[in-house]
Parts: sequence; structure tokens; C-alpha cells
Amino acid sequence: MWSWDFAISILPQLLQAMVVTIEATIVGFIVATVLGLFWTICRRSSIKPLKFAVVAIVEFVRSTPLLVQLYFIFFVFPTFGITLSPFSAGVLGLGLHYSTYLTEVFRTGIDSIPKGQWEASTALNLSKIKVWTHVIMPQAIPPIIPMLGNYFIVMFKETPLLSAISIVEMVQAAQIIGSNSFRYVEAFTDVGVIFLLLSYPASLLFQYTERRIQHRFDLSVKASKIEEDHYATNK
Amino acid sequence: MPRTSDASLLNQEPYVKYRNIGMKFGDTEVMKGINFDILSGEKVAMIGPSGSGKTTLARMLMTLEKPTEGTIEIGGKLLWHRRANGKLVDANLKHLRQVRGQIGMVFQQYNLFPHMTILRNVMEAQVHVLGLTKKEAEDRARKILKKVGLEHKCDAYPAQLSGGQQQRVAMARAVVMKPKIMLFDEVTSALDPELVGEVLEVIREIAEEDEMAMLLITHEMAFARDIADRVVFMADGQIIEQGPPEQIFNYPQHQRTKNFLSRFSTEFH
Ligand SMILES: Nc1ncnc2c1ncn2[C@@H]1O[C@H](COP(=O)(O)OP(=O)(O)OP(=O)(O)O)[C@@H](O)[C@H]1O
Ligand SMILES: [Mg+2]
Repeated sequence: MWSWDFAISILPQLLQAMVVTIEATIVGFIVATVLGLFWTICRRSSIKPLKFAVVAIVEFVRSTPLLVQLYFIFFVFPTFGITLSPFSAGVLGLGLHYSTYLTEVFRTGIDSIPKGQWEASTALNLSKIKVWTHVIMPQAIPPIIPMLGNYFIVMFKETPLLSAISIVEMVQAAQIIGSNSFRYVEAFTDVGVIFLLLSYPASLLFQYTERRIQHRFDLSVKASKIEEDHYATNK
Repeated sequence: MPRTSDASLLNQEPYVKYRNIGMKFGDTEVMKGINFDILSGEKVAMIGPSGSGKTTLARMLMTLEKPTEGTIEIGGKLLWHRRANGKLVDANLKHLRQVRGQIGMVFQQYNLFPHMTILRNVMEAQVHVLGLTKKEAEDRARKILKKVGLEHKCDAYPAQLSGGQQQRVAMARAVVMKPKIMLFDEVTSALDPELVGEVLEVIREIAEEDEMAMLLITHEMAFARDIADRVVFMADGQIIEQGPPEQIFNYPQHQRTKNFLSRFSTEFH
């Protein structure tokens, strides 16, 4: 029978585990973003071996299960002398796995920047770094914020996999509560509700941020598109 | 052999020298054996039919397109190459950046940075390339925007401007860098006819006041005749004929030049 008292009494324990879940998601996403950007830039590099190596790594990581990667980092790395705490191994695994998706997202954003922006940057003699940080990225990021937000939430919902390497995140905490009390219903219902209460507002927040950022130069992007079409049809 | 320029007459060393330039896109050869000079401060207008290679020639100088053959020198320095043990080797990015600091370019499509205000568009490279302080860069940007008649648009974004205004900003952004040579590639072709005049007016002002050399690719024949020291006619990846505007427009020597100019003849009557 459902017990409200029990469902409420286990909340502190679950909320503690929720902090772990959120931490893992945020740190994992930062790792995924940094690595994803790094892959994207390497794939655009003119150094062929680097490019091919990165393409191979990305393809490999994307086509193997996250769970296997987590096991590998946590249980196999130590035999090469790299021992990581469960949390470090977890966020590294999550970050690495999702970086291979994010690199595609970044690429989409970068490819959508008209060639003329690169050429104007060259004509002004801006350094490569300045071109990326001041011209390309500020234009490439806003349109991909919804996709990035989507991956953030998908990643958040994948965190229960971290229990496989002994991290006590929410699902693992519920599992422990359930096996100690035999009250699985309350434990997992609570977890489900907490996930919902976090991911739904998060997705609303992403939509809002996207609209805010996009609004400022949405006009300009549209206007320059129209200008280009106008030119294309007149040429 | 066609006259390369008036350089030999004036006994002045050209500022830009294209030597034996060839260009292939894949298997298609679009130009071959081009020799072409521009003197310091000289205003050169380049005309010719579509696909003749005018843009390609300008883009090579701006380091946007690497010639597949030949060399370009600017201010006595090789642009795409450097000498190592008496041999020519490809220049690295550092070298390209050093040399192309002397060159500015304005494009047909303006290519302003849409996420920056007009003021920031004009400040950006001053700060990051010339190393000026924000204050200095802003003062200079405002001054030059005033000159092109857009000081009241400093805080606007490019999308809020007309094509003609955007192109004037693009010119301010290039000129504020004080290049020794400016390349204009059909900068009025994307504009509505009624906006062409204001942009040409700015070019004329720059041409009259500034010491910088100019390579002006254009279909505005009357304008070319007006401001150019020399007119170059290109067709099929070759320089067919060049000389002072009166000579090219009034007494063209080659049939191709005559044919080409006859299409614009109404402009002269
Ligand atoms: N990126 C490219 N790839 C393949 N061919 C090209 C490329 N750029 C130019 N060409 C070819 O090179 C030739 C010269 O082109 P270019 O753009 O320099 O001519 P143009 O004189 O500027 O013509 P227009 O007056 O139309 O601007 C053309 O035949 C063109 O098709
Ligand atoms: Mg052209």
C-alpha cells in the first residue's frame, strides 16, 4: 500500500543523491562541451593525421555503449596505472560519450556561418583565435542552444548508469532504500517525480534562453539571408 | 608583349607585382602567365566580362585564394612564399599575417559581423590587430564613421541598415586599418540602383584624400573613367589591354575591348 509518510521520510536521502546526479550532469556536460569543441576544431584542422585520428575516436566512442565505456574507465584504466574516483570516472565517461554528439552539434552551428564571415576576418587580418572567439562562435552558438539543451537533459536522464560504477545517484539511492525497506513503490515514484520536476523546468529554461539570445540578432541573420537570396536571384 | 604598367615610364618600383600567375580550380585552368603591377598610391580600375578572373586576381592578393603558379610580391616581400636556401617554399600563416596587414578588401556582400554593433565592427580589428586601446579605437571609429556619414548609426546592428549603409560601414572598417592598398570587388553590384551613388561617393572621397593604392573591380564605367589612373581590361583569364582611362575608353586597341565597351556605350553619350 502507498504510504505518504514513507514517501516523504525518504526524501532527504533522495535529495542528497539528487545533488550527486546534478553535479555529475553539470560537470559531465562541461567535459562534453570542452571535448566536443576540441574534436570539432581538430576535424577542421589541415593536419590530416590529426583529423583522421579524431574522426576515428569520435566514431568509435559514439558506436560503443556508454556503460561499456564507464566500466572500461573505472575498471580497466587502473591496470594502466590510472586510478580514478567513481565520480571522476563517471563524469569523464559521460563527458567523453556525449562529446561525440556535441561535436556534431557544434559542426552544424559552425557550418551555418557564411563564408563571407571568414573572408572578412582574413581581410581584417584577425588572428585565428580571435576569429573563433569573436566572430564564429558568437554566431554559431545561439542557434544550437536548443540542441545543446536537449543533450543536457538526455545526459541528465542517463546518469543512473553511473550506479554501475558504485556512484550513489538517485536511482541507486532508491534501490538501496527499496531493498532495505521493501518499499520500492514510494522510492522509485519519488525518483520519477524528482526527475520530472528537474528536467521539465530545465527544458523550459533552455527554450527561454534561446529565445532571449536569438532575439537580439535574429533580425540581422534573417536580413542578411534575404540579402543573399536577393543577390542569388539577381546574379 | 602588352605594356605592364606605367611603372617603367615613371621609373618607380611597383608596390604590388604579380609574376607569371597561373590558377587552376581542379582541372580547369582559369588564368595563366599573368604579369601585373600596381604602383604605390595608384588607383587601378579593373573591368571585363563575367568569369574573366578579376575577382580571383584580387582574392589572391588578399590571401583568400592561393595561385597555383607564379609569385606575388607586395612592398618588396613575397606574399605566398618565402625564400629558404635560395628556393621558394610556401609561406606559413605567420608570414601571411605579416604581409597582408598592408592589404584591405571590401566585398560585394559587405560581410559585416551581424552580432556586433556598427561601432564594434569598426573597432574590432583595430583593437585585436593594431593593438590600439578601446578608447583610441573608438575615437578613430567614430571619426571615420562620421566621414562616411553614419555617426548616428554607431549603436545599430548591421541588419538595421540599408545595403548602401552597410557597404559604407564595410569601407570604414577596412580604411580605418590604414592599408597601403585597398581592394574593392564590385562593391555596388549587390545594391539597389538608388543606393549605388552614396557608396561610389565614399570611394571617391577615399581615393582623393588617401595615399593608399586601390584596385577597383567594377562595372561602373563612368566611375572607373573618373577616378582611375589606369584601367585594366581582362577577358578569359588574361589582361588584354591596359592604359590611362581616356585611351581605354576612347581608343581601345583590341577588338575584345571594343566589343565589351560597346555594351556600356550609352553611358558615354
Ligand atoms: N572557387 C572556384 N571554384 C571553381 N571555379 C572558380 C572558383 N572561383 C572562380 N572560378 C572560375 O574562375 C573563373 C574566374 O572567376 P572570377 O570570379 O575571378 O571572375 P570575375 O571576373 O570576377 O567574374 P564576375 O564579373 O562574374 O565577378 C570563372 O570561370 C569561374 O567560374
Ligand atoms: Mg567577380
